[in-house]
Amino acid sequence: MSLDLSKLAAQVGGMVARLRVGTEERNRRRQYALEIAASQAIDLADLKRKIAISRGKITWLVADLLDGLSQGCEAPPPPSEFNVLATDGSHIDVDRHKSTRCYLINIGAAWLHYGAEPSAFLDSFPRLYAEDKDLVVVPTRGREQPIEGTLLGIKRAVEECHQLAELAAGLPPDSPLLALVDGSLILWGLEAYPDFVTGAMLGEGFLRHLEELRKLGKQRRLALASYISFPRSTDVVNVLRLALCPYEPTDCDLNCPPGKEKECDKVAGVQDRELFFNLLGEGQRSPVFISQSSVVRKHYGEHQVCFSYIRLEDEVARIEMPKWVATDESLLNLVHSLVLDQCWRGLGYPVALSEAHEQAVITTADRENFWQLVESSLVAERLPTLTSAKSQSKRTRWI
Amino acid sequence: MSTSTHPDRVGEVIAASTTDFVAQCYELYQSPPLGSLVKTRDGSVELYGVVYNATTTSLEPGRRPIARGKDEASEEGIYRQSPQLMKLFRSEFSTLVVGHRQDDRLYHYLPPKPARIHGFVYLCPPAEVKDFSQSFDFLNILISNPLPISNDELVAAVLRQMSQAYEDQHDFLVAAARELAILLSGQLSQLKAILGRIRP
Repeated sequence: MSLDLSKLAAQVGGMVARLRVGTEERNRRRQYALEIAASQAIDLADLKRKIAISRGKITWLVADLLDGLSQGCEAPPPPSEFNVLATDGSHIDVDRHKSTRCYLINIGAAWLHYGAEPSAFLDSFPRLYAEDKDLVVVPTRGREQPIEGTLLGIKRAVEECHQLAELAAGLPPDSPLLALVDGSLILWGLEAYPDFVTGAMLGEGFLRHLEELRKLGKQRRLALASYISFPRSTDVVNVLRLALCPYEPTDCDLNCPPGKEKECDKVAGVQDRELFFNLLGEGQRSPVFISQSSVVRKHYGEHQVCFSYIRLEDEVARIEMPKWVATDESLLNLVHSLVLDQCWRGLGYPVALSEAHEQAVITTADRENFWQLVESSLVAERLPTLTSAKSQSKRTRWI
Repeated sequence: MSTSTHPDRVGEVIAASTTDFVAQCYELYQSPPLGSLVKTRDGSVELYGVVYNATTTSLEPGRRPIARGKDEASEEGIYRQSPQLMKLFRSEFSTLVVGHRQDDRLYHYLPPKPARIHGFVYLCPPAEVKDFSQSFDFLNILISNPLPISNDELVAAVLRQMSQAYEDQHDFLVAAARELAILLSGQLSQLKAILGRIRP
C-alpha cells in the first residue's frame, strides 16, 4: 500500500499555518541578532573573556572568537594554476536479515586541475569489510562495539579522509592544492560512544589522516577544508546570547531555571547562516571561529576545528578547517578563493565535491545487485544462503 | 587511455549482435566518419562493418549536460573551465556488419557469430578498403537493412569514403553506380537520391 497522502494533507496544512504564525517573531529575532552582531558597542576582548569564564556552564555550543565577530573579508583571486581534490562516500550497512555479515564503503574521488593544461581524474574505491577486525571495535576489556548504523557513518568519514590523504600524496606538488570533504570535520556522533571507540576512530583513524595531510603541507601548499551546505549551526548566534546575558559568569542552570523568561531568548532560533547572509556581501567570508565542541576540545589537539561562513549567491556555506589551515593566512585565503571558485563553476556547490559524490553514490539498484552478487557467490561455493523470514516476506509480497 | 599500440585503433565493442556492433571511442568525439569501413576480430574471424551512426552522450543516463558557455568567449574555454567534462561523456559509434574474412578469404555476407564485447575496433587502411570493395556484394546489406538513418545516406557515405582509397575515384564511383542501377532497377527515385549524393 502506498502512503496515503490524503490523510496527511490536513496535517501538512496545520504545519504550514503554524510556521506562518511564527514568521513574524522569527524575523524580529533575526533583526535583533543582526543589530547586536553589527553593533560597535560590542567589546570583543570582553566577549572573549566572558566566553572563557563561562566555559562548561552554558547549555548551548558557543564558538570561540579568533579575530572578530561580524566583519566580512573579501577573497583574493585564485592562483593561475591550482588543484582541487575531493572525496565523498556512501555505504551499504550490515543487514542482519542477510546470511552474511558484512558492509561496504564506496569512496568517490575527484581531482580537478585548473591552469594552462587542465585535466581531471574521477574514480571510485569500493571496499568490502567482512573480516572480524572490520566488523567490531574491540576494547582491551569489556564489550566490543559493532560497526554499523551511526558508527559505520563515522567509519565512512574516516575512510573519506584516508582516501583524501592517500590521493593527495600522489599528486604533483608544483601547484597549490585544496583538499575538500563534504560535511563536518567534527565527528559529532562519537560523543555517544565509549572512549575506546573514539580512540579507534579518531586517534588511529581520522586524526592520523589529518596529520598525514598536515605533513604533506610541508612539501607543498596544501589546505584542507570541509564544506557544509545550508548549515544549521548556531555557534555564532550563541555568542550573541552570551553577549546579551546579564549574569557574569553566565551559568544557565544556576541563573535561568526552566520556565524563566531569559534575555538571551531574544535571539533564540536564529541560525548563523541567517546572520551571515545579511552581514556579508556576496563572496565574502566571516571571521574565523573556533569550535568548542567537546569532542574537538578533548581529542583534536593541533587539528582543532575552526570555521568560517562564506556568503554565496543564494546561500551561506560553513567551511571547517583544522587550526593549522585557519591560522595560516595564505592557506585560509586559498580555501576562501578556491571554495568560491568551485561554487561558481559548480552553479552554487563545489564542483569537485559534486563529482566525488557522483562517483560514490550507491543506488537502490546497486544495493540489490551487490546482495545478489554476494548470494550468487555463496551459492557457487555451495555455502548456505539463509535469509530471515522477514526479509523473504518483504521481497515476496503476496496477498 | 592511450591507443599508441596501434594508430588505427578507434574503439572497443560494447554491444554486439549478428547484424551490427556498437563501439565506444577511446577519445571523446573521435568517432570514425560516417560510412567508414572498420573491423574487429573474433578468434580467427575478422568482422567488417561500416559506421552508420555516432553519438556523444552523458556517461550516466540521469545526468544531462547544461548550457555553460554564456560568459565564455570560446567553446574550448568551457572545457578549460570544467576539465571534468571530458570524463563525463562518451562517444560511441554503431556499425552495420557487411562481411568477414576467414582463412584469408573475404566474404561479403554476415559472419557466423557476432563480434566479441571488448573486441578492439580498427579503422581499415586504404589497401584493405580497396581489397574489400573489389566486390559490391555488400551494397545489398546496406540497402536492405532497417536503420535509424536513411539507407540512401549510408550507401552514399560508404561509397564516398571507399572512393578515397582509390587514385581514380571517378572510376570507382561509376562502377558502384552501375551496380546500384542493377540493385535498384525498380526504385528509380532511390537510385537517383543515392547517385545525387556520390557525384564527385
